[in-house]
Parts: sequence; C-alpha cells; structure tokens
Amino acid sequence: MNPYLWFATAGLFFCLSGCFYHFFRLLGYGKPQDFSKPLGEINPAVRYAFTRAMDPRKKESAFLHLPTYTAGIVYHIGTFISIAVFILIWLRFVQFGWVAFAMACFLFLSSASGLGILAKRILRKELRTLSNPDDYISNILVTGVQLFTALTLIHVSPLPVYFAITGTLLFYLPVGKLRHTVYFFAARFQLGVFYGRRGVWPPKTDR
Amino acid sequence: MEKLTDEKIKKGLSVFKKGMDGKLFSHLNSCVHCGLCAESCIYYRAAPESKFIPAVKVDLISGIYKRYMTLTGRIVPGLIGAKKLDDRMVEEMTDLFFGACTICGRCVPHCSIGVDISYLVRRGREMLTRMGYVPRSLQNTINTALSTGNNMGITETEFTETLKWLEDDLHFEVNDENARIPLNEKGKDILYTLNPREPKFFPLSISAMAKIFYMAGESWTLSTQMYDVTNYAYYSSNPDEAAMITRRLFEEMKNLDARTCVLAECGHGSRAFRWEGPNYIRQEYPFEVATSVELLAKYIREARISVDPDKITECVTLHDPCNLARTGGIWKEQRYILSRCVKNFVEMSPEGIDNLCCGGGGGQLAMGEYNDRRLKIGKLKADQIMDTGAKIVVTPCHNCVDQLSQLNIYYKLGVQIKTVAEIVADAIIIKEKPAKNFNICPVNNQHNQI
Repeated sequence: MNPYLWFATAGLFFCLSGCFYHFFRLLGYGKPQDFSKPLGEINPAVRYAFTRAMDPRKKESAFLHLPTYTAGIVYHIGTFISIAVFILIWLRFVQFGWVAFAMACFLFLSSASGLGILAKRILRKELRTLSNPDDYISNILVTGVQLFTALTLIHVSPLPVYFAITGTLLFYLPVGKLRHTVYFFAARFQLGVFYGRRGVWPPKTDR
Repeated sequence: MEKLTDEKIKKGLSVFKKGMDGKLFSHLNSCVHCGLCAESCIYYRAAPESKFIPAVKVDLISGIYKRYMTLTGRIVPGLIGAKKLDDRMVEEMTDLFFGACTICGRCVPHCSIGVDISYLVRRGREMLTRMGYVPRSLQNTINTALSTGNNMGITETEFTETLKWLEDDLHFEVNDENARIPLNEKGKDILYTLNPREPKFFPLSISAMAKIFYMAGESWTLSTQMYDVTNYAYYSSNPDEAAMITRRLFEEMKNLDARTCVLAECGHGSRAFRWEGPNYIRQEYPFEVATSVELLAKYIREARISVDPDKITECVTLHDPCNLARTGGIWKEQRYILSRCVKNFVEMSPEGIDNLCCGGGGGQLAMGEYNDRRLKIGKLKADQIMDTGAKIVVTPCHNCVDQLSQLNIYYKLGVQIKTVAEIVADAIIIKEKPAKNFNICPVNNQHNQI
C-alpha cells in the first residue's frame, strides 16, 4: 500500500476511534435525572427535533439567512458525498462511470459554498470576533477535501494528494469543532427531551 | 469586584467536575460558531453588538470547559478558543450572563445545531455564583426571601392586614358577607400561591382571584407562612438556595394537606417550582401542580364561572411570558381564556412559543445595575405593543407586568397592563349562587383539551 493510502487509512481509524470515544464518553455521563412530572411525551418531541423543528420556515437561523443556510446545506451534502467517495475508493471501488462527473460538479459547487462561508467568516467583524483558528482550519480542510474529491473523480488530481488531504481531515475531525458530527445528534436529542417533557414540542398546532 | 483566587476557581470549575451530565456535555461541545443565532436574541436585535450574539455567551463557558477539562484545550488552547478563568473573564461573564441575558431561551429553537444556550447561560451563572460573583442586588433579594419567607420582606402582620381589607372588598364585589379569603386552612383542594408583588403593589390581582374562586365554588386557601411563588435563586442558579426556597413551599403543601399547588401568574416562579423544584430537592412532588392560567381555563371550559366578553370593549393584546409559554408549554390556555373574555383581541407578532421576551426576565428587574440596558432592549416589546394598536396588554406574569409597566411609562405607550386573572374577574358574571364545590380533577390533565 502506498504511504499516502496508509496515512489516509490511519486517519480513518483515528477518526472512527475518536468519534466512538466522544460517543461513549457522552453515553457514560448519562442523562440528568428529572423528577418533575411531564406535561408531554418525549418520543414524539425527539422525532420532531430531528424533523419538523429543522424546517427552514420555522428557524430564523435559516429563513433570515437564506443564502448562508443554503450554502451550509450544500456544503454538508458535499461533505457526505466526499466521505462516501473516500470509503468507496478506500475499498478499491473506482469505477464511478457517469456518476463521477455529476458528483464532481456538485462537489465543485459545495466547495464554492465552503469558500463563501469562509469568506463570510473572514469579512464579517462579528464572525471574526466569534471565531478561533479551529473554525478556519475546519473550513479549509473540509473545503479542500471536497475540492480534491471532485478533482480526483475527474482524474485531475493524483490519488496521493487526495489521500494526503483526506487523511489530514480525518485526523483533525475528532479534535476540533468538527466533532459536532457526533454532538449535533446529542444536542438535538436533549432538546427533544427538554421540550417534550414540558409539552412544548411538537407544538399543539402540529399534533 | 473581589479578586479571583485559586480557591474560587476550584469552586467555579466544580460545575464541570461534579455537575457534568450528558445534557451539559452535549451542549458544551456542539456550537459551531455560525453566529446565526444573533437575530433571535432581543439584546442583539435592540443593539447589534458582537458581544450580544448568543454564541458568544456559549463560547465563554465552553471556552473555560475546554481550557480546564480537555486535552486539546490544555495543550493548544489558542487553537480551539480555550479560555483562561481570570478576573477579566469573570467581569465579562458577569456582564453577559447576568446583565445581557434574560434566559428567555428564544435563541434555542432557532439555533442551527440546537444548542441549549439559555441552559449554558444558567450553568455559567452557577459558576459565577459558586465563585461568589452574584450581582449584589439580586443576592439581596434572595437573602430577603431566605430570611423572611418572601422576596419583598413583607411581614405576616402586613400580609394578613392586606388580606383582611381585600376580604372586605370581596364582600362588596360579590354581595355576600360570607365570601372569604381562607387562610391556613387544612385539607383544601387548592393551596394558592402569590407573587409578593401582589400584596405589596397589586392587591387587586389577589381580589381578582378571590372573586373567581368564590364564583367557582372552589375549595382553596392561602398560607400566611409560605405563599411566595417566586424563587430568585433560580436566577442566580444557586441550587442550594433554590432548594431551600422550594422546600418551604413543598413542606407547606404537606403541612396544609392541599391537593394541588396552584402557582400565581409568574413565569419564573411557575418554572422554578413546577419544573426545576423537584430537581432542586431531588424528589417528585406527592401533590399536583398547576398554573393559575390552566385553572382559569378549566373553570371557563367547565362552566364553573360564566364570563361576558361584552364587558371589555377595548382592544386587547397578549404578551406570553417566556417561562410559561416557550419553556412551560402554556400558551393555548391564555388564548382560550381571552377568546371567551374579550371581544377584540389582536395577537402580537411573533407570539406564543416564539414570542419576544419583554426584557424583564432572568432577574433583570432585581438587578438595578442593568436598568438602562433593560429599558433599551424593551423597545422591541414596546414596538410590538404599538403595532397591535391595543389599549390593554394582558400577561400572566407579574414580572412581565412590572417590566411592561415600566416600558409603558418609558416609551409612552398609553396602555393598561393586566393579568389574566384581572381580565377574567372583569368579565365574570356575578351570579347569586356560585358554583357548587366540585371535586377537582388534576388541572393539567385538561392540558390537551383546549
């Protein structure tokens, strides 16, 4: 195996180990005991937290910032595509056929979204105040992986470069804010539990 | 401000070391610094400064967590924004956690990820409290409650005398010399609580409930020993003091052997006793708890009282207290009541669980240090009120009544501020014979019937 593939493989195992570490550490803390008498049900509220509560028509973080929200959605889809492509390439599946071109086009678009988000973070004073090096590094790595995945799919980028960048991202993911890969689900679950007990979610009009 | 010492830092960090659970751990690790929470915050909307972005508050507490509790934060703190707990940090935390947040929680459902920002602010306040940095005015209010049994320091004699003349007034209102405001009576269905602002400044809201209880034929009592629904230690996030205050009402319920504790119109008081209280004292309540809004809705629904919407001719709007609606699930009940009691009702926008905070929550009214800022951010609510064209603003929270009353003067709104009970009492039809004494069903089983 060439050293770049080894590097990416090591990164993959480090990333998976790191994510499992975060996940099991989270489980280990348990959920807080709640002695209050619930007014609503938790299960429908948790389902709501992952579905209709994320409706962009309901969230000001979405409908008040449609371009950023849209770029973020495209960016995340690009990330999932990049991960899927990496796994397939790692498993030696490289015959993507016409799908490769379609995925590459989307990944160019998602890379551009990532660059747009990065530019916003650099240019907006409020976001600069909120940001630290981890925010910039995370964006650069994810955008870089998406871009080089696209270039690899259309055979422009050599595989060693692709593996080097992807491996770097995989090593970095559990370390900084990209760990929200795990914690996003935990946070939304906790929200569902909180609002569900109190009869707030799902909203009475939605029942 | 007292200098930060190693001992204080150790006490502050105990929030993480002893108090960590899955919920806190999840939220500390979730923020992605997108900054899209900004416009959901009334502080940022009223004064768009970077420091008022809710994510900045999250960053303070999560930054401290990363610095002292994570490997990366200890080795390369600058990489992930890990923050050192020092005097400058304490000043910033105090200003933002106590002075620039009403813990209204509006930012939470709008957060891209779902970080419970208000929960993290409360834990940040707990950290400051453990280190001894509670704003003096807030701690004074808590100390008054702890030493006298109510946050206004009203003596039992003052209280009883106020109730005596209110009872005289009730005789006249309902034309019945036998109408009473029962005190300290055991075995009643309801122990009713009060916000101490009521006997001190708004006794007519007590009259209103007394009239409603009379017409509903209710089995109820007040306690002269413990009637305070508020718990200002909820605002300081001092779990020990909050537990002491909760336990007093808990014990009084058991002492008077009442079936249901009905919480007066008070957002944080409802939340603190109903939702936080069982966790402060680490036990379930052996009695029911309901808000007065739920009770009033039940009375109307079950025809225990009759109301006439033609009695109130003015245009009425409604302000939803954050702790009642957004984090308590009570927002349909007050609308049902108003639909039956007033003819001309107009909603604010946004409303219900997405309402804008009045700016008086989170202990702001008790903290004179932040008065200017509190009144300035209240402009959002003032604008909402003016946009409705209403002449009466109804709100089921005495804290909100106080803030709205001040906004009324400050922004020259020219409106009346009333509680839901006052509206119901104004609309009530006085019948010669009140309803018979019903066996009460737990009020909150009716929650989904509106």
